[in-house]
Amino acid sequence: MPAIKLDQVSRAYGKQVYAVRDLTLEIPDGSFTTLLGPSGCGKTTTLRMIAGLDMPTKGTIRIGDKLAFSLEEGKSLAPAKRGLGLVFQSYALWPHLTVAKNISFGLEVQKVPRAEATRRIEQVATALQIDGLLGRYTSELSGGQQQRVAIARVLVMQPSVLLLDEPLSNLDATLRMDMRAELKRLHQETGATIIYVTHDQLEALTMSTHIALMQSGRLQQFAPPLEVYAHPANQFAADFLGNPRINLLEGSVERGHFKCAGLDLALPDTVSPADTPTATLGLRAEELRLHGASGPGLAEARVTTLLPTGSDWYYNVELAGKSLIVRQNDGPQLRLGETVHVEARPESIKLFAGDGRALLAAPTVPMGS
Amino acid sequence: MRTLYSRIYLGLTPQRVLSILFLIVLAYLVIVPLFLMLRETFVVHPLERFQIPGSQVGDLTWAHWQRNFFSENAYAFFYRPLLNTLKIAIGFSLLALLIGGTLAWLVVRTDLPMKGLIANAAIIPYIMPSWTLALAWITLFKNQRIGGDQGIFTALTGVATPDWFAYGLIPITITLALHYFPFGFMLIGGALRNIDAQLEESAELLGASRFTILRRIVAPLVLPAIFSTFLLTFSRGLGTFGTPAFLGGPVREFVLSTSLYANLIGQRPGIGYLAAVVMIVLGVLVLYMDHKIIGTRRSFVTISGKGARAGLVALGQWRWPVAALVLGFILAVIVVPLCALVIDTVMLRPGIYSWDNFTLHYWIGDASLTVGLGTGEPGILRNSQLMSALGNTMMLAVVVALITGILGVLVGYAIVRMRGTWVSQALDQMSFLPYLMPSIALGAIFLAMFAVPRGPIPSLHGTFTLLVIVCTVSYLPYAVKAGVSAIRQVGPELEEAAVMVGASWWTRMRRILIPVQKSTYFSGMLLPFISVTRELSLLILLVTPATQLATTITLRYTDRGWYPYTNGMVLLLVVIVVSSTILSRRLMGTSIAKGLGG
Repeated sequence: MPAIKLDQVSRAYGKQVYAVRDLTLEIPDGSFTTLLGPSGCGKTTTLRMIAGLDMPTKGTIRIGDKLAFSLEEGKSLAPAKRGLGLVFQSYALWPHLTVAKNISFGLEVQKVPRAEATRRIEQVATALQIDGLLGRYTSELSGGQQQRVAIARVLVMQPSVLLLDEPLSNLDATLRMDMRAELKRLHQETGATIIYVTHDQLEALTMSTHIALMQSGRLQQFAPPLEVYAHPANQFAADFLGNPRINLLEGSVERGHFKCAGLDLALPDTVSPADTPTATLGLRAEELRLHGASGPGLAEARVTTLLPTGSDWYYNVELAGKSLIVRQNDGPQLRLGETVHVEARPESIKLFAGDGRALLAAPTVPMGS
Repeated sequence: MRTLYSRIYLGLTPQRVLSILFLIVLAYLVIVPLFLMLRETFVVHPLERFQIPGSQVGDLTWAHWQRNFFSENAYAFFYRPLLNTLKIAIGFSLLALLIGGTLAWLVVRTDLPMKGLIANAAIIPYIMPSWTLALAWITLFKNQRIGGDQGIFTALTGVATPDWFAYGLIPITITLALHYFPFGFMLIGGALRNIDAQLEESAELLGASRFTILRRIVAPLVLPAIFSTFLLTFSRGLGTFGTPAFLGGPVREFVLSTSLYANLIGQRPGIGYLAAVVMIVLGVLVLYMDHKIIGTRRSFVTISGKGARAGLVALGQWRWPVAALVLGFILAVIVVPLCALVIDTVMLRPGIYSWDNFTLHYWIGDASLTVGLGTGEPGILRNSQLMSALGNTMMLAVVVALITGILGVLVGYAIVRMRGTWVSQALDQMSFLPYLMPSIALGAIFLAMFAVPRGPIPSLHGTFTLLVIVCTVSYLPYAVKAGVSAIRQVGPELEEAAVMVGASWWTRMRRILIPVQKSTYFSGMLLPFISVTRELSLLILLVTPATQLATTITLRYTDRGWYPYTNGMVLLLVVIVVSSTILSRRLMGTSIAKGLGG
C-alpha cells in the first residue's frame, strides 16, 4: 500500500485566488487520513488533485513510487492509472444503468475477462450486502443502499487507495452512525489507504488515524485525532475540533498567570510563557469543574442555562460577563441563577498567542508547512 | 518555458479542444457572414451597374444606402415595408400573447376540465407550417382579385369579402397570431407551473385576496416569461416570409422579408441585403431589450418549486362553457383550415363547391391540359417533381436533425464544462446569435457567403450541403440550449466517476452522457426536424431547381394560381410533422416544449 506525498502543491484560480496553497503532506501508507476543515478550505480540491480530476498549478504529487503529477516534468498521470478509487459525495451512480452494470462498468472499460469480472462483482456485492439489489436501477434504492453501491463500484476495481468525499453527508443521522462503523471495518479489512474528506469534526475524530486540518487552503495541523484534540497547533484547530466548542477567553499573560476580568489562573509550571498583553485561553467544557464552595484558584460564576442530555449535564455559566459552557457527568445538580465556582485544571488548559499560535501545547507531530 | 509548454500540454482536455474547435467554426459560420453581408450593401452587383451611373461591377458605393434611406423611392422600397413589418410583428405578438397567456392560465391555474386534450391540441398550430393558415385563409376568404374563383366563405354565404379582410396586414396579423400563440402557451405555462405554491400560500396567509396575489406575486414572477415570449414571437415575426408572401402579395403589400426577397432575386440585391441588415439590427435590439429588462437572458423559468400545487381557481358553473369555448377555438384553428385545404384539393374546378365537382385529380390524376385547372401536371402523389422535392425535404430534415443533435451535445458539453471562462461565454453567445437573425436574413447572409468560392471552400450555391449548413446554423440555438441543459443536469460527477475507471472521452459520451439524457437530446433534435420540414423563409433564397424542397416548390404553384397542388403539399407536410411529433413522444418521451426550453 502506497504512501501519498504532496510537495508544495497549490491550486490557484487566476492570480489571486488560491483553493489550496503550498500544501506539503505525507499521508502514511495504510492510514485512514481525514482532510478536515470548514467548507471552502480546499479539502475537496486536494482530494480531486490526488485523484487526478483537478490539476495543481504548482507542486508535485507522488502515489507510492509513482509520480502522479509534476508541472516541471509536464506529467499528469491519468486518474485511472493512479490506482485510486473515488466515492463521490453525490455517489454519482449512473441512473440509466442497473446496480450490476454500475459496478461492472469499470471492469468492462478495463477489459477484465468476463469470468474474473463476475467473480469480483459477486465478491464485493456480498461483502457490502447488496447482492440482492444487482438487478435494480439506482433510483429504486435507499440512500444507504446507494452509498454501498457507490463503494462497491469503487472496490471492485481493487484500488490501493480509497478516496471518500463527504460520503455520509447525504445520509440521516442513524444511518450515518452505522456507515461510520462500516467504513472503519472496511479500512481494517482491506488495509487500503483511505483519504476521507469531511467537515464534520466528530466523524474525523471517531474514524481517522490521522487528521489533516485545513483552513483557507492551508494546512493547519497534521496529527492523530486525539493529538489534534489535546494539543491543537493553533486557536483555529482548538476551536474547530470538539463539541461543544472550546471556551475562549481573551486576556493577558503576566508572570506565569493568565489574567482577564474576574479570572486569575496560574499556568502550569512546566511551561512558563513570556509575558504578553494579548493571549487567548482555551478551556474545553469537559475539562472544567464546577464547585459549590469557593476555594483557592476558583473563579466565581453564575449558572445561566441548564442543558441536560441524559447522560451528562451541560451548564452555561457567566464568568465576569463571559459565557462559558461546562460539562459535568456527576456532581451537584445546579439550579438556574445559582452561584458556582469554576475550576480549570492547569494541565488541560490551552493558551494561544495573539496570532493564534499555541503557546503551551507543543504538537508532537511537526506541522507540514 | 518548459512549465509553460507543459501547462499547455496538460491543459488539452477534451472540453478545451472542443471549445476551441467550435469557436473557430462558429466564428466562420456566424461572424464572418455578417461582415460579408454588410459588405454586400456597399458593392455594385451586375444588374445594378446600369442603375448607378459610371460604376463598374464590384465597385464600392454608398448608392444602396442612399437609395434605401433617402431617395424618393425610399418609402416604397423601405419605409412602408418596415412600418408594415413593425405593425404586423407588434400586433400579432400581442394577440398571440393574449391567447397563449389566457390558455396557459386556464390550463395551469384553474380547474378547467379536459386539460390534457387542450394542452396537447394547443401545440398543433405551432407545429404546422406557419403559412398553412395563410393558405387556408385564402381558400376560405379569397375574392375575385386573384383569379376568377371565389373562396368557400363567399360560396356559402354569397357575401363577397372586402380586400382588407381577404388580403394584407389584417389577415397576416391574425394568421401569424394563430400560429404563434402556442409559444406563449408553452412558455408562460412553464413559468406558471414553476412558481412555488408556498409563495402564494404565504401571501394568502397574510390575508391577500386572490386578485392581489395574482397582481403582486404571480404576475411579477411570470413577467420575464411574458416579456421573453413577446420578444421571441416578435423576432420570429420579423423574418417570416410565407404568410406575408401569400396574403400580402395579391395586394402588393410588402413587409421587410418579402421586399428583401423581391429585391434580392430581382434587380436590386444591394437593397435586398440592406433590408437583411436592418432586420438583424432589429433582432439585436430585441435581444438587448430582453437583456436589459429581464436581466438574465433566456430566463424563462423563474423559480423552481417543490411545494404542492397551489389551489386551483374554481371556475364554478363556467367550467364547462369555458372548456367548450377553448376547445372550440383550438379546433377551429386546426380543423377549419385543414378542412378548407382538403376541400380545395378535391374540387375539380376551383370555387365551385358541389358534389359533382368532387375529384381526386389533384392527388392521383394523370397529367392533363384539359381537366380542371388544365395544368399539365400529374396529381401530387404521382408527380415526380413534387415527390422528389418532398424527398429532399425529408432528407434535409433528418440530416439537419442529426447534425444539430450531435453539435448540440458537443457544444453544450464544451459550454458547461468550461463554465466561468471567456471561451464558454463566447461559445454560448455565438451559438445563440442565429436565434436573433430573422430567418430570411440568415438565408441572405449565406447566399452572400457561399455564392462564390472563398479560399479553400468552393462555391456552395445550389448544393444540398449549403442547405444543410444554413439549417444547422439556424437551429443551433435550440440544439445547444437542449445540450446545455442536458449536460448541466447530468453533473460532472457522473462523468468523473467514469474517468476514475479509465473510460475514454468517447466511451463517456457514448455510454454515460448521451444515454442518461436521451429524451432531452431527442427533444433537441425533434424541433429542428419539424422546423426544417416546414421551413420556407430560411431556404427560399438558397434553393435551386436541383434542390427544390416541398415548401419552396409550393410557392411556384401558388404563383401560377394552382392552389390545389400547393394546398395538397401543405397537407402532406402537416401530416408528416404532426405524426412524427406524436410518434416521437410515444417512443422517446420527447416534447416540443422541452426543445424550446420552456
